[in-house]
Amino acid sequence: MGVILKYVVAGLVRYYLIHLDYWQTIANRVEIATPLNSWKRLMEGVYLYEHNINPYEGDSFHESPIMLLTFYYIMKKVPFILPILFTLLDLLTAYLLYKTSQAFIRIFKESQKNNISEVAEESKSMLLNDDQLKGAAEYVLSVYLFNPYSVLNCAGMTTTVVQNLLVATALWGASSGQRIVACVFIALATHQALYPVLLIVPIAILLADVNKGCTKCSYIRTLLVFVLSWGFLIYLSAYIMDGSYNYVYNTYGFILTVPDLKPNIGLFWYFFTEMFEHFRLLFVCAFQINALALYIVPLTLRFKREPVLLATVLIALSTIFRSYPCVGDVGFYLALLPMWKHLFSFMQQKFIVGCTFIITSALGPTVWHLWIYSGSANANFFFGVTLSFATAQIFLITDLLFAYIKREFTLKHGSSRQVDGKPAKLVLR
Amino acid sequence: MYLNNVISSVLLLIATSFSITSCAEIPEQFLKSNHSNNWAVLVDTSRFWFNYRHVANVLSIYRSVKRLGIPDSQIILMISDDMACNPRNPRPATIFNNAHEQINVYGDDVEVDYRGYEVSVENFVRLLTGRVPPDTPRSKRLLTDEGSNILIYLTGHGGDGFLKFQDSEEITSQELADALEQMWQKRRYNEIFFIIDTCQASSMYEKFYSPNILATASSLVGEDSLSHHVDSAIGVYIIDRYTYYVLEFLENVHPNSKRSMSEFLAVCPKSACLSTVGVRRDLFKRNPDKVPITDFFGSVRPVIITTDPINILDAPKRKKKPENKTKVPEKREYLPQFPMHLVQNTRTG
Amino acid sequence: MESIRKLIYYSILITIFQYVYCDDFKEEIFLKPLPPTHLYGYFQFVTLVDSETSSFHSHLAPRSLTEVISRFQVEELHLTLTEGQWRHHQWGYPVLDAAPGAELYAWFSPDVADVDTQWKKLTSTLSGLFCASLNFIDNFNTVTPQMALWPMGAVKSGQNVTSQLRYASLPREIVCTENLTPWKKLLPCESSRGFSSLLNSRMIHNTNYHSIGVHVRKICKSNDCSETQLEIKQTVALVYDYDIINSNDWSFRKLFGQGLPGACPLSSESKIYIDITSNDTHAYTLTPPPDNIIVSQRGGSDTRLAVYNIKADGQMINIGAKHNSKPDLPVSIPPPLHFNRYILGYGKEFGGIVTELTNNCWTSINVVVLENAPWWLPLQLSSLRVNGQAESSLVLSQYYSPGRSRQKPYHLELLIKLPPRSTTTVTIDFEFVFLKWQEYPPDANHGFYVGSALISANLPTARNYTSLPIAGTTFDSVVNASKQWYPIVFRTNGAMVSLPTPDFSMPYNVICLACTVVALAFGPLHNICTKELVLKPLGTPVSLTQKLFNLFKKKRD
Repeated sequence: MGVILKYVVAGLVRYYLIHLDYWQTIANRVEIATPLNSWKRLMEGVYLYEHNINPYEGDSFHESPIMLLTFYYIMKKVPFILPILFTLLDLLTAYLLYKTSQAFIRIFKESQKNNISEVAEESKSMLLNDDQLKGAAEYVLSVYLFNPYSVLNCAGMTTTVVQNLLVATALWGASSGQRIVACVFIALATHQALYPVLLIVPIAILLADVNKGCTKCSYIRTLLVFVLSWGFLIYLSAYIMDGSYNYVYNTYGFILTVPDLKPNIGLFWYFFTEMFEHFRLLFVCAFQINALALYIVPLTLRFKREPVLLATVLIALSTIFRSYPCVGDVGFYLALLPMWKHLFSFMQQKFIVGCTFIITSALGPTVWHLWIYSGSANANFFFGVTLSFATAQIFLITDLLFAYIKREFTLKHGSSRQVDGKPAKLVLR
Repeated sequence: MYLNNVISSVLLLIATSFSITSCAEIPEQFLKSNHSNNWAVLVDTSRFWFNYRHVANVLSIYRSVKRLGIPDSQIILMISDDMACNPRNPRPATIFNNAHEQINVYGDDVEVDYRGYEVSVENFVRLLTGRVPPDTPRSKRLLTDEGSNILIYLTGHGGDGFLKFQDSEEITSQELADALEQMWQKRRYNEIFFIIDTCQASSMYEKFYSPNILATASSLVGEDSLSHHVDSAIGVYIIDRYTYYVLEFLENVHPNSKRSMSEFLAVCPKSACLSTVGVRRDLFKRNPDKVPITDFFGSVRPVIITTDPINILDAPKRKKKPENKTKVPEKREYLPQFPMHLVQNTRTG
Repeated sequence: MESIRKLIYYSILITIFQYVYCDDFKEEIFLKPLPPTHLYGYFQFVTLVDSETSSFHSHLAPRSLTEVISRFQVEELHLTLTEGQWRHHQWGYPVLDAAPGAELYAWFSPDVADVDTQWKKLTSTLSGLFCASLNFIDNFNTVTPQMALWPMGAVKSGQNVTSQLRYASLPREIVCTENLTPWKKLLPCESSRGFSSLLNSRMIHNTNYHSIGVHVRKICKSNDCSETQLEIKQTVALVYDYDIINSNDWSFRKLFGQGLPGACPLSSESKIYIDITSNDTHAYTLTPPPDNIIVSQRGGSDTRLAVYNIKADGQMINIGAKHNSKPDLPVSIPPPLHFNRYILGYGKEFGGIVTELTNNCWTSINVVVLENAPWWLPLQLSSLRVNGQAESSLVLSQYYSPGRSRQKPYHLELLIKLPPRSTTTVTIDFEFVFLKWQEYPPDANHGFYVGSALISANLPTARNYTSLPIAGTTFDSVVNASKQWYPIVFRTNGAMVSLPTPDFSMPYNVICLACTVVALAFGPLHNICTKELVLKPLGTPVSLTQKLFNLFKKKRD
């Protein structure tokens, strides 16, 4: 009953915000809408397509042709359901995250049972019982439904709502062992925003874990299905655009080369505004490698036993370092964190991170207004805020990982912090 | 047809740098120069109305070199901002060197080659070194050769080792020295006379290492170059001290003047300029006392008249154009000046 | 005696030229008082060259220009350099309208395949010829109008003219003496003789509006148009403010600083036309009296023109007007079509452009509106509203070419039928773009200029219409030239926006700070992935004083 109430309240809040007079303001906020996902640009693309002008000829539309066609038909046939549609999609995302976390708890319990032999005697009490675990799924649901970032993202009707749904479906598919669903949806998400391509690694591991049997065969199968479906989507998009692959420059090309320097909550915009022209390519490559390739191998090797944690961290890191992040992306990975609520007690910077989130969320719109509308601040102010926001997110993620390895250590070696009777401290070596 | 005819005897005027035997125009006390043509590159690097004086500076020199005979096609004038037709100028299309409106240095036939945003460090270095884009028109190229004497005049805001362009970028003394060296290696000049009127101006020529450059600057390192006086009618300083006295001096120079470069180098004593005029002579082979000022400011060239017949039989024949192409008379017409077809269609439809 | 000899000499020369080369040069001045406070002066110098014989052999046409025309295979060329804004609402219509700043458009011959390259070369060459920054014209500020511009010259029948057209304007371009100097050098008499000697830069830049132009086109030599001539028309348009010349009574001496020293000896016709229609309401007397007065009936409006034939006898002429009485308060009758354009919105995030078109006629007028927004002002076609409606029945045809950043401008053309006696509002939204710091001009906070919109109208009446008919070259073709339509291309006022700017002094700081944040993630993640946790025994706790002591001890070592 309580769960249904949550859905209803969250749905009503979203629906109400979409019908608010300030909806336009919400949909245009730089924190919510980026050139990649904004509702306005989607509408412009659909409008151009409707008037037989190729939306990829210009610079105003960067969604995939599949999205274009989908929204073209929705706009043409049933434009009035759009607010309802966005609300429902977001609620569905919440539901899928809920299911994912339930599946995760199941997996977690199994692995806890299997590894109980490795746990030190004195740490046995730290193992989680059913009650503690059961709460996690509820928290995931609540955080996604009532996190202001997610709510505003949905109210702004950005296409990140769709992307979150695709990623959530893929995670749910993976955690429940449905290879095709997981791969197809992650391919869809990749086709839309490129960065979810990272998730194929944790999903492959998760699928192999859940489905048991030959691990390598499972990896290969997953990868094959993913590549095939991604390739098919690319082909399908070209088919929609009458066989022309020019859309690639406006979708993947736009994400990778960062030509639009409109401010957002990420690190790219001011960095590349102030970049010296002859170093631009170098730094674009460096930043994109940082977001796309740098962390995947080491983190996979380190956390291959915890694919869900790996997925969470990769989603978070790609959100922080992607070229056009928005609060919808942040809201999504924040909703995954309650699955790790047993780690919270090991985290050291919760307070700092929490304060920074609150302060930057308040300061961001303020300095934006001061800069753009009243002309009494300049770009550095907003840059400072986005910089601290990114720093807070980085602290959050690294703290989470530290907490995980600390708990791992404690489980193995007991909670005493003494060596040979002398006080000692945990250090990395 | 008559091109093919042999012209038996022609009176030719040859402008040549070699084989000068006798020349009445060049006074005896001066050293012979090897140059065959004169060019001037005059650059004002400052934007904004309060830098009016820099435009007046550069135009003063422009006026003088033009008067002394360098044609407009051999003067590259770069002006960063429009002062003459600036809405703030109460006397449109004029720039004066003096609050009493003595000389309108803008004149009635000025030709500005680079103006506004075109005046950038990149364009300046490209101009000097000749690495301009292929479509660049003639008037924006420095088409000098190994017989060219070039006068380079820079004015703007500078500091120790740099000169600001447009208040947003700067050229360093090293960059400038390298550009000149490249000119030397590409045989783009015979001699250069380099003048700079800016604060700490002498820092700009200290890095020069190419031969045949005589350089002078309005101030030494650590000194400011000061402006001359303010014009209350326009509310800004009207000209800089150094250039003011240079113009005063040059106004009394005529194309066949016997003044020497060393007189020019001493044009602004410290009592007048309030800054020390710097001079660098070590790269310059000739003695400035013996160099006529018109070697750089004028376009006085040795001319010899030859009466010997020159056979130009070898003149290449022009290819005859294949004429009498069957010309189909093309039917031409005036079009309606409006898309009438679209209007009519909608009316009927 | 001297002058007579010169005259004879010149006239012999001219006769020879005309027989041998069929060249012709005509100069004309058209003056029109714009009551109550302004005076419109329009100079036109027309050189006709037989284009069948090579134009290189002409003695009158400027070789520098004809070479450009033939080298780049230009069919038709229009270049104007303008300072100030023509106020259509107050002043009526000019003979040729021009956008503020520099405006250039050209049709290339159908033989030209790569029009864009040729266009780039043409602009660079012209920039050298006219001392203007036309080399800033590039693909990112060039459009190919589909409906608004049509060639004024004779074109081959059935030719696709649109694909060979390129149009660009530089609204920020300044116009000063350095542009007038090379312009004057193109004239056969330069500035020494004839009407061009009036163009004294100090006087003509002291006006409310001045525009110099060069218009080259091919005109029909005969009625069947099997042969063409090259027409090179150099124009100057000036609008004097009586306040600037300190009196309502104008004269050449007041306007140009000197009298007219006769005609250019090379011209076959030198005429001055003064529109004295307004004499009925603002009575004035012309001195010296005109040679004759023509009454022209054109498209429902009567115009009276006083004509002076000027001879090349070197006699100073000072034509002037003296008002008989104090001017009355004028009743201003607005022209059939006028318009206004402005920017909407506040802040530097979103905005809109509004173009208001007012039709004062009792019939509907068809117009083409060409909006040409630079790439840094991306338009949103979905926000286009005509009178507040998304799908308006007034729009008969529409063309849109979306822009691309740093490559292509946004280009929208609308064919609109303006209902009688109404105002139509065209609104479109745009977003501000954040540029790279090196893309901002040195005076980034001055603001960015948005070029004029073109309004091509097909007027049903010739009220306020002063343009020449298409086949006409000189002003006498205006007389009684009634047609069904009176086409004209207007330029609206330009606009200015101020783009958000970054801090230009920050590049190193920003690069360092952003890289630090990236490193903040890299460091811990590197540690987590490559190191393992161990317990390290703590030494005996060290007191602060001990620490300080140790520090000094180390230093002493």
